[in-house]
Amino acid sequence: MTTKVTVTLICWLMISAITGCSKKEIVSQEPVATGETIAPETPVEPDQPPQPGPRVQASLKLTEQGRLNLEAGKPDNAIRVLEQAISLNPDNGQNYYYLAEAWIMKKQLTEAREFNSLAELHLKDNKAWLEKVARQADRIADLEK
Amino acid sequence: MLKKIVIAAVSILVLFSAGLSLYCWHLSEQIDDRFSTRRWSIPSKVFSDTTLLYPGQRIEQNLFQQKLHNLGYRFVDKTPASKGEVQILPHSLNIYLYDLQTPWNDRHGFPTRISINKSTITDIFRIDNKEAVSILELEPEEISLFFGPERERRQLISIQDVPPHLIYAVLAAEDNRFYQHHGIDPRGILRALMTNLRHGSIRQGGSTLTQQLAKNYFLTPARTLTRKLKEVLLSLVMELKYEKDEILEIYLNEIYLGQKGSVAINGVGEASHFYFGKAVKYLSRGEAATIAGLIKAPNHYSPYIDSERCRSRRNSVLRTMYTKGWITQDELYADLEQPVKTVGYTVHGKKAPYFIDYLTQQLKTLYRPEDLTSLGLSIYTTLDTQVQSAAEKALEIGLSDLERRNPALKREEPDQKLQGAIIVMQPRTGYILAMVGGRNYSTSQFNRIVQAKRQPGSAFKPFVYLSSLDEFTPTTLLANQPHTYTVDGQPWEPQNFEPVTKYTVSVKDALKMSYNLATVDLAMKTGLDHIVEVTSQFHFSTPIKPYPSLALGAFEIIPLELARAYCVFAADGLLPYPLSLKSVVDETGDTLKQKHMQIERMIPPAKAFIVNSMLQAVVKAGTARSLKDKGITWPVAGKTGTTNDFRDAWFVGFTPDILALVWVGFDNGDPIMATGASAALPIWVELINAVPQHISGQAFSVPMGVEKRTVCSVTGLLATKGCPEPVQEYFLVDNAPEEQCPLHRKSGLTDLIEGVKSLFDDN
Repeated sequence: MTTKVTVTLICWLMISAITGCSKKEIVSQEPVATGETIAPETPVEPDQPPQPGPRVQASLKLTEQGRLNLEAGKPDNAIRVLEQAISLNPDNGQNYYYLAEAWIMKKQLTEAREFNSLAELHLKDNKAWLEKVARQADRIADLEK
Repeated sequence: MLKKIVIAAVSILVLFSAGLSLYCWHLSEQIDDRFSTRRWSIPSKVFSDTTLLYPGQRIEQNLFQQKLHNLGYRFVDKTPASKGEVQILPHSLNIYLYDLQTPWNDRHGFPTRISINKSTITDIFRIDNKEAVSILELEPEEISLFFGPERERRQLISIQDVPPHLIYAVLAAEDNRFYQHHGIDPRGILRALMTNLRHGSIRQGGSTLTQQLAKNYFLTPARTLTRKLKEVLLSLVMELKYEKDEILEIYLNEIYLGQKGSVAINGVGEASHFYFGKAVKYLSRGEAATIAGLIKAPNHYSPYIDSERCRSRRNSVLRTMYTKGWITQDELYADLEQPVKTVGYTVHGKKAPYFIDYLTQQLKTLYRPEDLTSLGLSIYTTLDTQVQSAAEKALEIGLSDLERRNPALKREEPDQKLQGAIIVMQPRTGYILAMVGGRNYSTSQFNRIVQAKRQPGSAFKPFVYLSSLDEFTPTTLLANQPHTYTVDGQPWEPQNFEPVTKYTVSVKDALKMSYNLATVDLAMKTGLDHIVEVTSQFHFSTPIKPYPSLALGAFEIIPLELARAYCVFAADGLLPYPLSLKSVVDETGDTLKQKHMQIERMIPPAKAFIVNSMLQAVVKAGTARSLKDKGITWPVAGKTGTTNDFRDAWFVGFTPDILALVWVGFDNGDPIMATGASAALPIWVELINAVPQHISGQAFSVPMGVEKRTVCSVTGLLATKGCPEPVQEYFLVDNAPEEQCPLHRKSGLTDLIEGVKSLFDDN
């Protein structure tokens, strides 16, 4: 039994020595590919992923109220309600999109552009919304001409 | 001869008539002038922001009930039947809401039930139709009035809004032949004369409503024959020129009806709110008779002074109404039985006085002071009265506690006491939720949030670290050892707050532990001019000069500007305009001025997040780690600050939803012998724990341009399996470490030996 273990050990030592030396060649590669470094987490997730809680739901109600105010041609009321929505959930990019709409309606394009870029930032993971945001940016650019 | 006498008499009569006509014409002009221009000075009112309630929201129940009380709600022990009533049950509140009227929302009041379990709203629904309410907006709270020298409160009403029973009650109490006479009532005068003769004293006046109005509006209170004559003429002219209802409307808005502290209550509109908590159109017959009964002697018959005397006077008015046929016998008997039930009132001290001062400075750029005291504007602000109360209380508790722990901080003179200041903002919108500019407004009106210039100390360090991010990462190593710098030809040797043995620290650890030496090292490597260039974008109004001591915040700063600048780290790199004023609305409800959130892109979101993540480390394991022991379990970022000789203690802490800055110090710069962590941080905790409705508990979201990598805690480079303490760290994508840790990288042989060793260990 002892002999068997010793032989196995010597064989394993030889194999390991050879493969161990070969690892030096991979050091300069990308960390993910080496297998030696701990793989980074990309894309990055927040420490505690946000869950749609009551605050977010309440914020969504206000977002809808803001949108309805815009439809009714009341940009100032819309802005006020959307500000309330942002205070409850600053991460909802739709609020910034509608704020940009309100400022377009008020013909204040500097503000519209600022909120449009903020909408783009917060809606980066939503293709359909990103397209809307892009179209909005184009409209702002056209109006600025 | 007779003819001459007649001619003379006629001439005198003509001359007298002409003179009288001229005089009446003059009076008529006077009346026109007075009535065509603004009739009353109405103080402008300042309102807090509205309060949002929704299922799932956490609330602080005591502050919430205080809020309802401040809004004029009355606590009753039955199901609320009219607007403004609240019933408190073990796990719910039944509230009959008042109407809400703001420039952005208009809704009628309705009965609602708010169910609460363990300080969390579990459900909101309408009692009348059982519909669920997903979000409820409570009315804004009146926090201040801009009084003129007369200190009068008045809510103007239109005669169309006045219920008939109030008109009858006023006529019954003061002038029951108002619609029959022409300004003067000879029958009334005779009746008063007879009554007074019978009693041998002045018991009754013969003045009509028109005469009373003429007296109040145009004349002095002096009792002279000339004045009486003028009163009569004015009354006649008024009746000639104006309709009865017009005169009555002016009268009802004009009359003095009581006193709230040092402020006069004028007009039935204001009085119906003051005594019964409702608009004039909702007054019952009994309430209308009570108000009418007050006209004779408002403070003598005030229900707040003697409710029985008030009731007796009310009943007298009701009997007259019955005598005149204006109410039925049944109505009379029903009303006579009713007690006088008032809404009650509290004379509050000045609420949020430092905030109001700050607001006033801005309003003065828009309106003349005399307009603010007379135009009756409604001024809507961002103030959250619950946060304001929590901040005021937290500051007082914190400062008293410091004095108790260290009696050397106590001062006898009120104006030399230990001071503190707090500002609370929404980092994204820039709304100022609360502002406490000092410990006691009555002893010191100096607003330390906007007027003080204090050294920020380490609270400024995040801006140094921000400036370095193009070149350095959170894991870059810095020298944390003594070094002598030359400043203006003089040696300058910064020191750490406490002696440390770690002579090499990472950027993140240097900020986390607020190491001075490492921070100065970083600042020198980054370049002082570059730091000044970056920080100058943040709109600090005080000069920031490129001295090495800049790294340690050794220059003066205005606390509001520091709080605003910190918002950038909480809000994806956006700098908000600090907003206190939202809207100004005139008496007719037209919006005159609106201010909305304004943002300015200051730094890329990724950079803001990197600083933010380092500031979270300050709270998790750095100089502000005591937050964890004080019940703060949700994601918070923040920074402590302590200046030379302990002159200032700071803590700026924030979540994605709320940011609060706390400063503690003496006005004269005496040392407080406490750090930001021991003096300012506990105040921050006390405040934040009292406003759970503003804490979502959400983590800060990670923007694009940031990635997380696992690095060696010793070298800051990508971790290998040999690194003893690999840690995960956020980096800017552009300058994340690519190189592996050379220190713990093992040769194949070492790996092999360890592998064999582990094999035996396993056996």
